[in-house]
Amino acid sequence: MNNPHHLNPTSLKSRFTTRFLRALTKIRAQKPISSSSPTEIFRRYRRIKVAADKSMAYSVRSRRIWSRAMLWKLRSRSYRRQDPCSGRRSGKTSQAIMKKSSNENTTTRREDGVGFVEEADELRQLVPGGETMNLCNLLDETAHYIKCLTTQVQVMKKIADFYSF
Amino acid sequence: MESNAGATETRSNVTVSDGGEVAALESLQFTDEIHRLISAPATDNASSFTALLELPATQVVELLHSPESVKLIVASAPNVEDFKGSFHFPSNTGLIQKDARFSVFSGEGNNKNDKSNSPEMTSKNSSANLEKAVKSEPAETASSLPLVSDPTVENRNIKRKDREKKVKGSTKKSKPATNESLEDAEKLPYVHVRARRGQATDSHSLAERARREKINARMKLLQELVPGCNKISGTALVLDEIINHVQSLQRQVEFLSMSLAAVNPRIDFYLDSSFTSESGSTMDGGNFPSLVTPLMWPDVQVNGYRQQFQHQWHFDTLKQPIWGREEVCNNYVTPENSLLSYDSSANSATLHANQLKMEL
Repeated sequence: MNNPHHLNPTSLKSRFTTRFLRALTKIRAQKPISSSSPTEIFRRYRRIKVAADKSMAYSVRSRRIWSRAMLWKLRSRSYRRQDPCSGRRSGKTSQAIMKKSSNENTTTRREDGVGFVEEADELRQLVPGGETMNLCNLLDETAHYIKCLTTQVQVMKKIADFYSF
Repeated sequence: MESNAGATETRSNVTVSDGGEVAALESLQFTDEIHRLISAPATDNASSFTALLELPATQVVELLHSPESVKLIVASAPNVEDFKGSFHFPSNTGLIQKDARFSVFSGEGNNKNDKSNSPEMTSKNSSANLEKAVKSEPAETASSLPLVSDPTVENRNIKRKDREKKVKGSTKKSKPATNESLEDAEKLPYVHVRARRGQATDSHSLAERARREKINARMKLLQELVPGCNKISGTALVLDEIINHVQSLQRQVEFLSMSLAAVNPRIDFYLDSSFTSESGSTMDGGNFPSLVTPLMWPDVQVNGYRQQFQHQWHFDTLKQPIWGREEVCNNYVTPENSLLSYDSSANSATLHANQLKMEL
């Protein structure tokens, strides 16, 4: 039961855990838990999901394309929420940036000479920011994304188990 | 002028002895130098290319004229047998521009071996090898000094490319030194593609081969990551498995966040440090009652553990600011308040944290 080897405090898991727990406390502090109507729960669910994605993206910083794309998405969404007109602006800029980056990678229809176009496109939709990646980078990002998702699921499972014993 | 003099010089040199072998010898000399040049700035990125360009400036100019000199020889010299394959030398000038970007330098080793056999091999192979040799030297210069290509040269280009594609198709399956080239592609930041023996040295095919190897390496990594992918053969199915896995993980995250939203917390969040210390140990349901019990009868335990947890005062610095935050959350602080009222409050806090640590 004793854990002689404590987790590395700078590992992805610990970074994500601290951030996510902080976000969770904030969310719980905002609303009283007594009201458990479905709408309330749904609203809280959305906030928790966003908090999970955000804390994961912040734990990875900008080292990965998918984390950068996810942070972009979250920021533009939050801007849009706060101020509709500024949201338009940020929406435009984000669109411009996405277009520019996709133009840098020439064609959107990527026939890379290997025959995985449909699967690659599906994968691009799953991985955030995947549209602007060629197959090589896409596989890289997918590997890291899978690793981060598994840590996320592990930590959230433990938290959920802890609170629903 | 100078260039003409140089051309005539080399031309005279070549006409004196056997043309093909001299060209090979010349290229041999320079390949050694080029090897040395490559090995030195191998760690540089794209700048190594320009570095390579600057250094052998004078020799490069000479080399530049060697294909031209060979062209002249082809026109003038009656030694048709030796130059059976050399009809395709002029096509180098057109291809060199395309090849400039792809360093075939690392193929020098293979080229040397091949060149020794070139007289005996068929015209197709000899042309391919000699072109490799001649191509490799002017390849560096082509980007700086544009070469003129004739329309006849282009026609020969097309014919040669077709034949090379056939060669490529036939030798695609044979992959000698696959691992070596894969390592080369993976280790060095500058992609040195090894032109394998008998395979096409077309610039496009080289680049494609390098990319395919990279992609295959990454697919292998992904197969190891995704459980149950090792048995599947065929990259399309593996990709499907990967897609399914990513989708399932995303759905799991959504489901867990929903359950977190729905759950009513009985114990509040002061567990930052304790959670960060969790390793891969599983959490059993049976551990939780022991978590709850310290809240009930902390005094007994606290007195017992006071000495043990003296050294963990550092937890207080973590705890107190969090404590201050949790004070705002009304109902759920009462157990902690009751804990705080004991004189060994800090110890009880650390005790609780440690209990959690141990359980988790």
